[in-house]
Amino acid sequence: MEDQTVLTVKSNAEPEKISHSFRCCICLDLLYKPIVLSCGHISCFWCVHRSMNGLRESHCPICRRPYNHFPSICVMLHRLLLKMYPIAYKMREIEILEDERRYDFFSPQLDNHACGPLVDNECHHLNDSMQFSGIFCGSSSKTGSHENMEQLQPVSVAMKNGTSEQSSIEGITVAGKKLPPNELNDNCKQISIVDVLCTACKQLLIRPVVLNCGHVYCETCIITPTVQQLKCEVCQCLNPNGFPKVCLELDQFLEEQFSKEYALRRDVILNHEFATMCSMGAGKSGFISSSGAKGEHSSWLADAHSKVHVGVGCDSCGMYPIFGDGYRCKDCKEASGFDLCRDCYITRSKLPGRFNQQHTPEHRLELVESSIFFDMMMRYVTGQREDRSAAVVRADDVFEENGSPATLPDNAQESASGALTTPTTNSDNLTDQNNTDSAS
Amino acid sequence: MSGGIARGRLAEERKSWRKNHPHGFVAKPETLPDGSVNLMVWHCTIPGKAGTDWEGGFFPLTLHFSEDYPSKPPKCKFPQGFFHPNVYPSGTVCLSILNEDNGWRPAITVKQILVGIQDLLDQPNPADPAQTEGYHLFIQDAAEYKRRVRQQAKQYPALL
Repeated sequence: MEDQTVLTVKSNAEPEKISHSFRCCICLDLLYKPIVLSCGHISCFWCVHRSMNGLRESHCPICRRPYNHFPSICVMLHRLLLKMYPIAYKMREIEILEDERRYDFFSPQLDNHACGPLVDNECHHLNDSMQFSGIFCGSSSKTGSHENMEQLQPVSVAMKNGTSEQSSIEGITVAGKKLPPNELNDNCKQISIVDVLCTACKQLLIRPVVLNCGHVYCETCIITPTVQQLKCEVCQCLNPNGFPKVCLELDQFLEEQFSKEYALRRDVILNHEFATMCSMGAGKSGFISSSGAKGEHSSWLADAHSKVHVGVGCDSCGMYPIFGDGYRCKDCKEASGFDLCRDCYITRSKLPGRFNQQHTPEHRLELVESSIFFDMMMRYVTGQREDRSAAVVRADDVFEENGSPATLPDNAQESASGALTTPTTNSDNLTDQNNTDSAS
Repeated sequence: MSGGIARGRLAEERKSWRKNHPHGFVAKPETLPDGSVNLMVWHCTIPGKAGTDWEGGFFPLTLHFSEDYPSKPPKCKFPQGFFHPNVYPSGTVCLSILNEDNGWRPAITVKQILVGIQDLLDQPNPADPAQTEGYHLFIQDAAEYKRRVRQQAKQYPALL
């Protein structure tokens, strides 16, 4: 890779000037291992994690929108930043890795690029599924990288073929497809459209949204299911926070960087929108429907009967803290431990941990009792506030439905595959259907 | 990983303040007797807004940052006994954006805090009183309140 030569001289090179859009609002430094929250705001992996609340729902550090799931790193943005600011990004990596070693807590190692000189260069063009690759550069690592790759096979198999194609394009043809340098920003010379493609349509992202799993789509490319929760088409992970909002920082960057292509895409999409609107009569357009479905985030959180695992998060879906039953791995040795929430335990998620744990499907999990003391405290802290009582009742219903599938009504049965179908989605979709019914 | 980023963030805050800050405001980290800088305590000055009764006053404010910053807001203190409906007798400022459970967001900068407090000076929030004297005068005796504010502004002239 061309920028590796740059990386080797990192110590005496000046870091690049960082655009304001790619500064983390928490550490005020270059974003490192960026995470995009469902409100569209970006922050670093550790900055998001630190600003989360171990006792109850967390709030976006920028807009205070509540959320309950720690999203995965947005690998596309990570690679983009690595390309744009190779020196500054490498410096951030060294700095953070030092901290991670000190506390023996590690963020996911995304590729050997980000892993530094400790890892051999064999596995260069890894596909997207390797985002959680267990290549461990911490001092406590005893597993070789090849073993880890094998462990990850199930994940790669589950992926659609398209993604691996995409990343091979990304890896190989970048040099040939370079766009003319942009006079606005010298750092963006190395960036081309293949770095910012939509996971679904494989075209330049337009109005990008990032799901909880870290995959990026055009807002219009997301298929909103009628009954079930929103699901990522690539990794099949459910998206817990309702329909995500457009990541405006990224959108504005793309519009500036690829103005011609962006305008072209926008026209195509607008035409398409118009056509569908005409054909559907007064149907809802993608842009409009996306703004709905708010307030889904914490209906179940208000459930006073569910257990709380203070400060413990689910390593699969990212729920933090875990509400309801929690399962802990008996075989993971890492300081962070490996935990799953009930839904992810049932679906037997194969994803490795959020903190680079070397968890495998063979590991044994055990049910964790949450302490009664904390439950009581939680009830006190989150408060049985009057204004929440309505939400509590509804959340109870959902929980019971999921807990005993026998009592499920017919239409919800399909969605009982482990996902919580929040009442808001249901009612939203019902009204959607009613609308289209009456329109047609 | 529980290691804080407080110091790193504060170093960045200081950099950005030096680059650009609102006119009349002062904000600098404390210098210890041995000459070293303590980033966790900042001494600031907030100018009273022109055209208000607070004009002419340059009010000293101390920001105390914890290791949990910016997850948790800094504690902002005027001198003890500061006259304002939303300042506790101890001098601590009571303001929604400085309340962890209420309006605080890690994205709020030192600059925004100081400007927010400057706004609060002339626009007290009677729904959230923090001292009896300031609160009672504010709702019961506007003329006396005004006199006290002006008097206090004279107590804190520009330090040059």
